[in-house]
Amino acid sequence: MRRRLTVGMLALIATMAAARGLSADVAGPVVNVRLFQYHPQVLTVATATRVVWTNDDDIVHTVTTIPGVAAERGFARTLDGKGASTAVTFAEPGVYPYACERHPHMRGEVRVEAREPDAPTKGDRP
Amino acid sequence: MIHPFRTLVAAALMTASLLNPGVVGVADASAASTKAAGLRATLNTLLQEHVYLAAAATGAALGGRDDEFKAAASALDGNSVAIGQAIGSVYGADAEKAFLPLWRRHIGFAVDYTVGVATKDTAKAEKAVNDLIEYGADFGAFLSAANPNLPKGAVAELVKHHVVTLKDVIDAQARKDPARAYAAIRTAAGHMQMIADPLADAIVAQFPDKFSG
Repeated sequence: MRRRLTVGMLALIATMAAARGLSADVAGPVVNVRLFQYHPQVLTVATATRVVWTNDDDIVHTVTTIPGVAAERGFARTLDGKGASTAVTFAEPGVYPYACERHPHMRGEVRVEAREPDAPTKGDRP
Repeated sequence: MIHPFRTLVAAALMTASLLNPGVVGVADASAASTKAAGLRATLNTLLQEHVYLAAAATGAALGGRDDEFKAAASALDGNSVAIGQAIGSVYGADAEKAFLPLWRRHIGFAVDYTVGVATKDTAKAEKAVNDLIEYGADFGAFLSAANPNLPKGAVAELVKHHVVTLKDVIDAQARKDPARAYAAIRTAAGHMQMIADPLADAIVAQFPDKFSG
């Protein structure tokens, strides 16, 4: 009975956590891709933060780590036109410079600090 | 400091506009006193200058005149900066910062085409043409994002036409046919009014208070 209670309580806690949008990834800030620029161009976050990119331009852009970033930490995401979005969760601290493969002059950077994640704010995306 | 090459071109355009205002897209020289007409005249002048300087650069490159090419390329970049500043004067520093590398990119593709033609590298030349046509969509997306009065597709078509007219210039220069080359330069320069006028009109429509009077 005690075991059933414990399992039941754990299931209840998990359900409540899911309902509140909590997960191992912390909801985080948004980078807007607008007029062929990343806004903000440099973003500083804590480890385990999930960063979302949204495309406001009516053209395909990418969010691709530039050569020099270790392969296991790299990412390459495509934003297929206006309204498209993508997300990356940053598990490891470090600096992640990235660019658009189609428009190489578009540059951005995510700086990940080894600290506790920030509390979600109003503008963050889950 | 304005490059001497640009001063020469500007003087020629100003003279032409006084003798025949239609050449630079100003219907009536006296109407240039209004802000909207002033914007239209500025954009026409800058975009036509772009064609003349680009043609000077490609002609010098294809003719093996290295010093002249460097001077023309430098003046062309001065023109690019000026166009960026014109965009920035309306849309702010961020837009200017975004515009300039995008604009310079299409000049890079035109250089690639010129090199492809000069070295008879068909693959390079064809890739450059494809890059330029694809660029039209990029430029259309940029202007459309900045100004909803400028549909992306329409701008892309205008850029495509600009690419075709400039290609004609480069091809004639490569064939060492000066008569054809200068005829093509006049066509390419004249076409820029089809970009400058709608761009000016769209900006005025977007910011009527800024351009009233």
